[in-house]
Order: sequence, then structure tokens, then C-alpha cells
Amino acid sequence: MPRNKTFVVAKNEFMKRVKTRWFVFTTLLGPMVLIGFMTVIGFVTASAIEGGESTIAVLDQTGRMELDDSDSFTFVATVDREEDLRNKVLNDEYSGYLVLPEGLIEGTSGARYYSSEGGGISSFNWDLERTIRDVVRLERLEDQNVSREVFDIIDAGINLETIKISDEGEEEGSTAAYAIVGAIMGFLIYITMLIYGSVVMQGVIQEKMNRVVEIIISSVRPFQLLMGKVLGIGAMGLVQMSFWAGLIAAGTFFSGTLVSMIVDPANLNLPETASQEEILAATNFNIPDLGPEVFIWFVLFFLGGYLLYATLFAGVGSAVEQQQDAQSLMLPLMMPIIVSIVFLQAVIEAPNSTLSVALSMFPFTAPIPMVVRVAMIDVPFWQVGLSFALLMASFVGAVWVSSRIYRIGILSYGKKPSLKEMIKWMRYA
Amino acid sequence: MPILSIEGVTKRYGDFTAVNDVSFTAQPGRILGLLGPNGAGKTTAIRMAAYITIPDEGQVMFGDAKVGPASQERMGYLPEERGLYKKMKVGEQLMYFAELKGMDRKVAREKIKYWLERVGALDWVSKKTNELSKGMQQKMQFVATILHEPELLILDEPFSGLDPINAELLQDVIMELKDGGRTILFASHRMEQVEQLCDDICLISRGEIVVNGALNEVKRRYGKNTILMDFEGNPAFLDTLEASGAARIGTRSTRHAEINLLNGTRPKAVLEVAMPHVQDITRFELVEPPMREIFVRAVTEQQGHIDEADAAPSIA
Repeated sequence: MPRNKTFVVAKNEFMKRVKTRWFVFTTLLGPMVLIGFMTVIGFVTASAIEGGESTIAVLDQTGRMELDDSDSFTFVATVDREEDLRNKVLNDEYSGYLVLPEGLIEGTSGARYYSSEGGGISSFNWDLERTIRDVVRLERLEDQNVSREVFDIIDAGINLETIKISDEGEEEGSTAAYAIVGAIMGFLIYITMLIYGSVVMQGVIQEKMNRVVEIIISSVRPFQLLMGKVLGIGAMGLVQMSFWAGLIAAGTFFSGTLVSMIVDPANLNLPETASQEEILAATNFNIPDLGPEVFIWFVLFFLGGYLLYATLFAGVGSAVEQQQDAQSLMLPLMMPIIVSIVFLQAVIEAPNSTLSVALSMFPFTAPIPMVVRVAMIDVPFWQVGLSFALLMASFVGAVWVSSRIYRIGILSYGKKPSLKEMIKWMRYA
Repeated sequence: MPILSIEGVTKRYGDFTAVNDVSFTAQPGRILGLLGPNGAGKTTAIRMAAYITIPDEGQVMFGDAKVGPASQERMGYLPEERGLYKKMKVGEQLMYFAELKGMDRKVAREKIKYWLERVGALDWVSKKTNELSKGMQQKMQFVATILHEPELLILDEPFSGLDPINAELLQDVIMELKDGGRTILFASHRMEQVEQLCDDICLISRGEIVVNGALNEVKRRYGKNTILMDFEGNPAFLDTLEASGAARIGTRSTRHAEINLLNGTRPKAVLEVAMPHVQDITRFELVEPPMREIFVRAVTEQQGHIDEADAAPSIA
């Protein structure tokens, strides 16, 4: 019984890589490197977002709060109804409006800030909170005799709640957590697509360089070898990604605990003994509630993106003899991936904009933006489905192109072929 | 019925015709030597036989069917430029090659054991390939080629890089396979090996066949016109002979010469020229031309001249 040769190649590629130390290390250490990476990105992003100046309408129900304008904030006192303020915010007249309810100074109720942007991940919240707190403190000190109770009240802290207003209504909580999960998934796909893609390419170049390839293709069709390689390394990637997806899912579930472990309560003006709930409330962090479909799409889009690019990289690898020669041929291939990373920020800020939708539909850029969108908002099924179908169709096209280059390329030594020559190879019998 | 028949095959790469309307066959239980200068189209022909490339015109038959994935499982190909996966263990790697040929793992395990033992290499099974010497790797590649007991063996320069002991071991195995009825296609530049091993030869030059047939018959066709001469004394007479156009000197050293008679020159004429200059003659023999001579002559006739580069490997 002749077995499927593609499977034999795939199994070999999978087994010989999974057994390496490299695999074990990257599987276990990958997430740590990524967290470090994301932290850096987070800080950079946060400092970039902070820049703008916000005009905030203040609905002062205490009648005693006079907030001072600063570099970041301009406060406008108002007596409008909340409904009017809401529309003004949606019409961009104000960045947001701030409700300072009765009982704020007494510490029995918290200030509320309404904006169209939700909470965001910037330090905006903390700055606003600090501004309010300073005034409240002064008022409290005026009201009370200086006694132990005063400090207790001050220590009770001020809670700023950010509420996202959308056309469908109010949604409590922030989108920050969703954005972070989306960004992590996007970056994971970016990094792994490139890494696994180059693993495939290196494998192809190595087989060609040490001339083992001619022995192999006297037993299997070049097409089977190409597909076996791509699928075998893909299976390895799938194992790794599933493990990481599981970690992200777990991380999301336990994110509250993690955040409260990382954040120093003192920075939030909370006592060292503050409970986890208190810290989370103060950081305005909500545990994101992600459905399993988010993780399924994540794995599927990783797979689709990997298959598409790995196949093309394999085609390129077959045409050259050295890694360095591949660089110039790879750059045009990688442009779409780079574009999708460049626009990652834009997609996170406006996941439903035309740009975001377009990027997440075009197969060569789709995987990263689509996963970010899926994590952040409810993307209509037809969009995700169509995007995935287009991605797979492109993969089939890539297989056709690559296998035709591959079968000539792996046996061609000497001069590095030009793009024109590679197109000519595709027409050979 | 021939195991392998190449029938009117042409292969072009762009404007370059690598093989032009070539036909030859390889018979069971015989060794066919495929010869030719560098770039003659040998590798292209071999690759078409191994179903690695597909001819533009003509067809390649394996038995009574066209070559294809099925015939690939019944042939073993040892390319001239060959390699192994450096980081894989010997046993694992042989198992992979066997599986690619469609072998059952259990059967393959036994065959690997048998053949590694046969070439005296059973201890290597769990060694990584890059720990092996070059000669060992070569033996391993040979084992990989014959593991699945192919009916057709295509061996491109199988002896290159082997020491005499291992070369002899390999030659024994090849002869054993031949006696077992296998068909062997043997490409080489080493004419003494071709003469030793081959039953038939097929000489390709510039993509076309210039000589084809049983080795003895080909030799007979070229006639007894070569003199092997060992002597003591001044070899300057050889230059005189060559200048007169009576003969062409094949190989020569201070004491030995291979003299090819031209234009009906009689052996006696060579002796007459030599006598005044040499002190002694220890050998003077009229023989059929060696393969090397046939090679050079056939290629020269076809191309009108022969490049140094083309001639060089035939001496090597």
C-alpha cells in the first residue's frame, strides 16, 4: 500500500523539529519575550496617545468643585442635561463630559467620565482622576476637622468610571483589555508567520545547498515535497500556537490577578493592603469576556496566513542558494505584512473604519487586522468568513505559483535568477 | 524487454537544447555506462529516467509503462551531487528515505540493519550524519539507494571520494545486484571503471548520442590500432611521429606511450622511427583502443575539436 508521500514528508519535518531544543525553548519562552515586547509597545503607545488636549464638559452637582485647566484638560462648566451632553460628545463638541455627583466630596459616590473612546489604555484616566482628587481633597479638608476620619475618607479614594457611548447604547467598562488581547494576537501572528515562513525557506535552501533534494525528488514529486514541508512545519506551528492561544485564554481569565500583581497600589493612591478588586477598580481594568470563537479565528487566521506566506517563501527559497540572496526577493513579498503591522494602531483605534475593514479583507494583509478586530468588536460573520475564504483561495493560488517555480528552482544552481526568469520557469512543462 | 527505454527524447531549457532526440535502452542484468563530456546532457537524461524532469518530446518507459511515481518506487537514484540531512541520525534518515520509497517501516528496519551490516556500518545507526567521515556518508547514501531493492539502479559517479577498499566493496555489491538481475545505469568519467564494469555503453556529446552499443562491439568497431609501448631512452621520437601525421600520442610519460596509428600507418613504421633513439623496448603491443581513446575520438569527431576541459575528466 503506497502511503501518501506528502504525509511522510510532513511527518518527518514535524518530528525532526519538535524534538529540537529550539522548539521547546521557543514554545515556553515565546510568551515571556512577547510580554516584554508588548510592555515596551504599551509604554510607547501610551505616551503617544497622551499628547492631545481634551475639552471636558463638567456637570457639577456638588456646586463646589472648581477644576483647574491644565496642559491636557480644558474644563467647561455646564448645566445641560446629560442627554444633550451625550449628543455633544458624539458630535465631537466635547471630548467627553464629567459628572461630579453629590456625595463626591463626602466620598459616598464617585465621579463619572463619559466619552466616545471608552477608557483607552493611556494614562489619561489617571491624570483626570488626579486632577479631580486634588480638588476633592481640599474640599474635604475644609469640611472636616483634621482628625483620623479625614484621612480615612481621603484614603477611601476616588473612583473614576469610564463609559463607552455607542449608537447601540452605553457599555460599561473599557476596551483596553480587548485591544491588548487583539494586539498580542496580532503580533503573535506577525512574528510566527515570519519565523515559520523563514523556517520553511531555510529548510528549502538547506536541502538544496547540501544537495539532498535530488535524492528526495527521485522518490516524491516536488509538489509533494513542497506541501509536505509547508504542512509539517505548519503542524509544528499549530502546536505552538495552540499552546500560546491557551496561554492567552488563561492569561485573559487571570488577567485581573496579573494586573493587581504587577501594579503597585501606591501608584493608585491605595494602601498597600488594597484588595485585588480595589486595585482593578482603580486601574479601570475589566476582565475581557472573549468567546471561544475569538481563539478559533486566531488559530485559523494564523494558519491561513502562515500557509500563504510559507508557500511563497518556499518558492523563493528554491530559487536561491543562500539566505542572503533571498532577501531582495522576499522584500516585495513581505510588504503586505509590514503594511498590516504599520496600520495595527489605526485598526485598534477604529476597528470598524473603512481602512480596517479593507485591510482585514485583503488576503495578503488580512490575518493580523482581522484577528485584532475579532478580539475587539463583533465582526459580522460574513466578513470573517469571506476574508478567510479569500485567504485560503490565495493560498491555493500561491501553491500553484510556488510549486512551478520550486520544481525548477531546486535543481538550478549558479546565478541567482531574476524575477523575469522565475516567471519563465512557471511556463516550463 | 528492456527495463528502461529512452525513446526519442528531447529536453530544452529556454533556447538551450540539453538533450536532442536521444534513444537508448537498459537491459536487465546488464550495466549500461552513460558517458560524455561535462555538459553533454548526461544528468538531464538521467533525471528524465528518474522522473525528476519531464521530456519536452519523446517518452521514457519503465518496463511497459511510462515513468511516473510508480516507477520511482522501483528505481534507486544516486545523484552525482548528493547530500544528506546533517543533523538526522543515520537510522532515522535511512528510514525516511525508505518510507519515501513506499516501504513498510518494519521491512525497512530489517533492510537497514542488513545493509548497514553488509557495508560494515551497523554501529553508526544512532550517530548523527555530520559525525561521519565523507567515505562513510557515501556508503550510507549508497545504502539509501538500494534499500528498497530497486529493479533499476541509476548511479552517477558512485565511486568518487571512496578509498580503494570501500570502492571494491561497492563494486562487489554492484556486481552482486547485477547478477541478481537488476538493471544498472552507471554514469562515470572514470574510463577504467567503465571498462571494468559496463556491458553496454552510451556516449553522449552535446545532447546527442555519438556511440551506443555493447562495449566489446564498440571496441571492435574502432579496430586494433593502438600500440602500448614501454621503452628506455629518449622519447623525442614520439614528437617526430606525431609531426609526420602517422600517429597521435594518447598518454605518454618518459617510459611509456599510447600510440594511436593514423592513416593506415603500420606498427612496423613506429618501430622503425623509434629504434635509433631508444636503448631498449620492454613492451610493444597492438590493442583495441581503450575507452578513453574512443571517448576522445568520438567526441572530437562530433565536435570537430575537443576542449581541454572536456578531455581532462576522462584522464582523471
